[in-house]
Formats: sequence, structure tokens, C-alpha cells
Amino acid sequence: MKRIIIYIALLCVGCAVSVQAKSDIYGNGVTLTEPTPVSAILDNPDEYLGKTVRIEGMIIEVCAKRGCWVYVASDRQGEKIQVKVTDGEIVFPMSASGRLGVVEGVVEELKLSREDMIKYLEHLAEEKGQPFDPSTVKEERLIRLRGLGAEIEG
Amino acid sequence: MKWRKWNIIIHRDLGYLCFGLTILYVISGVAVNHIQDWNPTYKIEKSTAAVDLSAVNSADNQALAAAVLDQLDETGELKNIYRQDGQTLKIFVVNNNLTVDLASETVFQEKSNKRPLLYEANFLHLNHPKKLWTWFADFYAVCLGVLAISGILVLKGRKGLSGRGKWLVGIGFLAPIFFLWLYS
Repeated sequence: MKRIIIYIALLCVGCAVSVQAKSDIYGNGVTLTEPTPVSAILDNPDEYLGKTVRIEGMIIEVCAKRGCWVYVASDRQGEKIQVKVTDGEIVFPMSASGRLGVVEGVVEELKLSREDMIKYLEHLAEEKGQPFDPSTVKEERLIRLRGLGAEIEG
Repeated sequence: MKWRKWNIIIHRDLGYLCFGLTILYVISGVAVNHIQDWNPTYKIEKSTAAVDLSAVNSADNQALAAAVLDQLDETGELKNIYRQDGQTLKIFVVNNNLTVDLASETVFQEKSNKRPLLYEANFLHLNHPKKLWTWFADFYAVCLGVLAISGILVLKGRKGLSGRGKWLVGIGFLAPIFFLWLYS
């Protein structure tokens, strides 16, 4: 009996450790092969709204509280796009920041009033300890991806 | 009755087998339930520091990063550098994200450390490994189902399912129905 228990315990630990070492897939993973440049989505959001796309880029920010969103750097300097995932379904680890990621998701528009948008961006800046100037908020459209899956380099 | 004897054996031994993972899931379950209030997986420390970059070429990202890391005594492994815009440089070190405001020469640091035990428990509970673990977790869920069913059949008579058991099982079903009604 002792032997059986030891074998089962070793099998469980072995499985967990071997799988953990390779883990870099989140949610449904990525199935699309053709990447869409982030700049193309931001330039023509209406063309992509509701479409499932694959984007690639460096993960430059991760939600520090719940891991429920990441920002992926655009192919054009200074731009980024938010990937929002359902809380708990996908949780991005803090270690994802600075890594190259491939994300699949549906392009969506977050409809907020200018007042709500300011509150939202103010909250993000506060979370990151960054200064925020409400007067810089001109665009009330927030284009982002509803993340379905991701592959992030380990 | 032979089937009841086997039922008790299955319930007992399955209970022993499931104990470890059940406790792990209990810990992770409570931790993740309160995800609105805290990060159950990482301990995050945020801080701001001042640096002197006057002697560094502001266009040289590598030199800027080296100067910042040196001045902050940050010796962690460098993952990447990203120049967000003319004024902002992001430096990614293992367990530390640094955002440098080049104009004010201030650095915002976000240090993250895995919470011992909770990181591992959440890793498994939230099924981050996928693949083989998914199947193992499914098997575990089936085992929990068998445990529940065999559990209500352990005793017979007044304290069994035909006695007080049926009322307690009923209450167990009513609890989720009540909350579904409450939040509908």
C-alpha cells in the first residue's frame, strides 16, 4: 500500500512540474496564423470591430491587481493596445511584462463618456503611479481586444 | 449489504486521495474569490525613486537602462527595454518593471514577488498548465462527484439519506437556488 501511495504521489508531482515548465499558453491559445498589425487596427478600427485578430508585440503592461488586462506595444512607436480578458478565466502573470506575446482576440470598442474615460484613464495612471492630465483626453473611443487566448514567451 | 460496504471503502479511500488537492483548491478558491481586493498570486510593491541621467545620451536606450539599474542597485536579469515615447523608457527586469520619466528623471518601480504556496495553488486551480493537468483536474472533479454521491449513501436509517440526510441534501440544493434568485 505504501508503495502505491508513493507512486501516485510521484506521478502527480511529476506531471505538475513537467507541465509547469512548458506553460506559456493562456485561454484558448492562438489559432490564427496571419498577424494583424496593431497600427492597422488603430488606424481603421471600424474595419476590424467584431473581427477576431491575431496581434504580436511586446507586453508592456500587465494589470498588477488581477492580471485581467495587458497592453501590447504597437508596431508603431508610442502606440499600444489593451487586451482585456474575463476576470479569472485568463490571468496574465506579472512575469509576462517585457516578453513577446501573440494574442488572439476580438476587436471591440469601449463606449465611455468623456467623463468616464477620464476616470478610467486616471485609474490606470494611478495604478501605475504615473502622472495624468485630463486635458489630454480628446479621443473618447477606446479600441481594445477582448482576449480569447495568448501565447507568451517564457 | 455488500454494496454499502464497497461504498464505504470507495468513499474512504477516495477521500484520502482527494484530500491534498481539495485543501489546495480550498486555499486557492478563497484567495481568488477576493481578487477584487488583492492580487492573490503576486505581492506587488510600488515605489518611486529619483535618478540622475544628465550624463547619459537620452537617445541611447541601453545606456539609459544601464544607468538607471546601476543607480537603483537593481541586479535582476534584464528581460527587455522599450522606448514608449521620447519621454518614457520602460525597463523590464525579472520581478521588476521600471518606468522612467526621462524629463523629470523619476523612476516608477513595480516589484512583484510570487506569494509562496498561493502562486502554485492558483497555477493549478486556474488551470494555467492546460494539457495533461486539464485531464487530471477533470478526473479529480469526477472523483469529487463520486465522493459526494458515496457520502450520502454511507449511513442508512434515521441518520441516513432516508432520514435527516434528505433534508440536509435539500438545504444544500436550496442554497445556490436562493443566491441565483437573489442575484437574478
